[in-house]
Amino acid sequence: MSVFYFSTKELVVGYDNKPLIKNIDIGVNKGEILSIIGPNGAGKSTVLKSIAKQLESISGCIYLDSKDMQNISSSELSKKMAVLFTDRIKGEMMSCEEVVAAGRYPYTGRFGILSENDKKIVEETMKTVGIYDLKDSDYSKISDGQKQRVLLAKVLCQEPQIILLDEPTSFLDIRYKLEFFSVIEKMKKEKNLTVIMSLHELELAKSISDKVLCLKGEYVDRFGTVSKIFDRDYICELFGINDSLGSFALDKNIGLF
Amino acid sequence: MSKKKTIRCIVAFWILIIGIFIFFLLNVAIGSVRIDISQIVKSLFSNSTDPTVSTIIWNIRLPRSVAVIILGGALALSGYLLQTFFRNPIAGPFVLGISSGAKMCVALTMVFLMSNSLKSNSLTLVVSAFVGSLISLGFVLLLTKRIKSMSMLVVCGVMIGYICSAITELVVTFASDADIVNLHNWSRGSFSGITWSNVEIMTVMVFVSFIVVLFLSKPLDAYIIGDSHASSMGVNIKALRVGIVILSSILSACIVAFAGPISFVGIAVPHLIRKLFNTNRPIIMIPASFLGGSVFCLFCDLLARNILSPTELNISTVTAVFGAPVVIIILLDKKKKTMD
Repeated sequence: MSVFYFSTKELVVGYDNKPLIKNIDIGVNKGEILSIIGPNGAGKSTVLKSIAKQLESISGCIYLDSKDMQNISSSELSKKMAVLFTDRIKGEMMSCEEVVAAGRYPYTGRFGILSENDKKIVEETMKTVGIYDLKDSDYSKISDGQKQRVLLAKVLCQEPQIILLDEPTSFLDIRYKLEFFSVIEKMKKEKNLTVIMSLHELELAKSISDKVLCLKGEYVDRFGTVSKIFDRDYICELFGINDSLGSFALDKNIGLF
Repeated sequence: MSKKKTIRCIVAFWILIIGIFIFFLLNVAIGSVRIDISQIVKSLFSNSTDPTVSTIIWNIRLPRSVAVIILGGALALSGYLLQTFFRNPIAGPFVLGISSGAKMCVALTMVFLMSNSLKSNSLTLVVSAFVGSLISLGFVLLLTKRIKSMSMLVVCGVMIGYICSAITELVVTFASDADIVNLHNWSRGSFSGITWSNVEIMTVMVFVSFIVVLFLSKPLDAYIIGDSHASSMGVNIKALRVGIVILSSILSACIVAFAGPISFVGIAVPHLIRKLFNTNRPIIMIPASFLGGSVFCLFCDLLARNILSPTELNISTVTAVFGAPVVIIILLDKKKKTMD
């Protein structure tokens, strides 16, 4: 039993019974943001998928709210945990409002018809994320940046306690990135939302996270607070930045994080 | 849903319902013997009519028209389910070879198990058609593990269809003369010769499947958006997939067993309905596709019976003329979208 809101114990994840990353032991408190960083192909998405129960983990335990996730039914889980992964969403012939409303699924009845309360939550969430004006637009016709905001609204509509994000801002320009994280930060403060996400942008990870998990190939390299992780020498080692690349970055004044 | 969309849906539903009503009356009235509407009404509500007219209406045209409504609806619904399952707008029971698989099994059953009278035991035929549907759908599913492209899937389906047809032809070659006549008429697809007892069986099967499909509309709604979304909403995707496969097979099996393979309704109708209602939400698409299929088949059967009257065209001839262009339009539409 752990004191953390979310934790894993000796978790081993991978595909087809082949372990990819071993011994993941992490713990996150309610209202904390955990970023997963590491080089391409280090298994960031694999870890997230396993946590979301979309991929069966090979061994070990995952605890949510001091319950073993194996004992949480998928419909119960859908009211607590929401995910925003990189899979493309098919929104053919759906308005943005309908896509957002899809997040109310765990709360609607047999035929998925929205109640007045559901509609109110959809509207409020769209206003929070700042996409209320896109309400009637065709989802397939809006830009990628706007799509990501619609999907964020869908996820928040699910009223989760914890959300998992897989590289949520990789394809967004700087303004959308800032907007995205301002909403996340707001939800963290107001609703005590817990966030676990993989990030490529180290500078964002450094400023927004409470804790950082560093993955490198087959194992968890480090897990800890931001100050413990963000050390120039360590980041160079984690991402395999050799001396010549390091001095090039210094030379041109390119910040690593 | 916004107000505008709701109004559009209500209007579209009324169009379909009125369409069914009108074409149903026309189907009962028009044929090699023309019957006035007043006579139809009289014969329906009292017994005081000419016995020949009464027989034509009660024993031939009414069961046939009712069957067209039920089977046409089932066909379109099965097409919608397959399109949703494969996330592919040109999937349908005919192009995926499912109808041909069902036809093959029915032909085998007719020739080897019940060589005396066709359609005498419709339940046996439905069961064998169901087995055939599942077999060819199984093959298609095996192939989809390797193939991702939408057009390749269809090519494979068509090939499976040809293999099944070849086997059917082989069986027919060795069948007795009486069987061949029956098999030949049936295997080309026609609503003729349907009796009230056939109608009873198909009504029960299609009605039950329809209700089950309607109860799947919520998980289907999540499934349409994507696998990751559906599973994060707590949908059991594997169970849902098995459910769709079984239901669409039952529906196509019903059609093949009673009317033979009918082409293009399964692809074209859901597409037209999607455009008419401007939505792809299952809760609307399921009943709407059903009604749309009924209207489309009533219209096509009316033409099939009357264009070259008294000779009757087989129903696929007519459905193909109206359905195939729709498929071409879908393909062109897709191409335009990917080029944008």
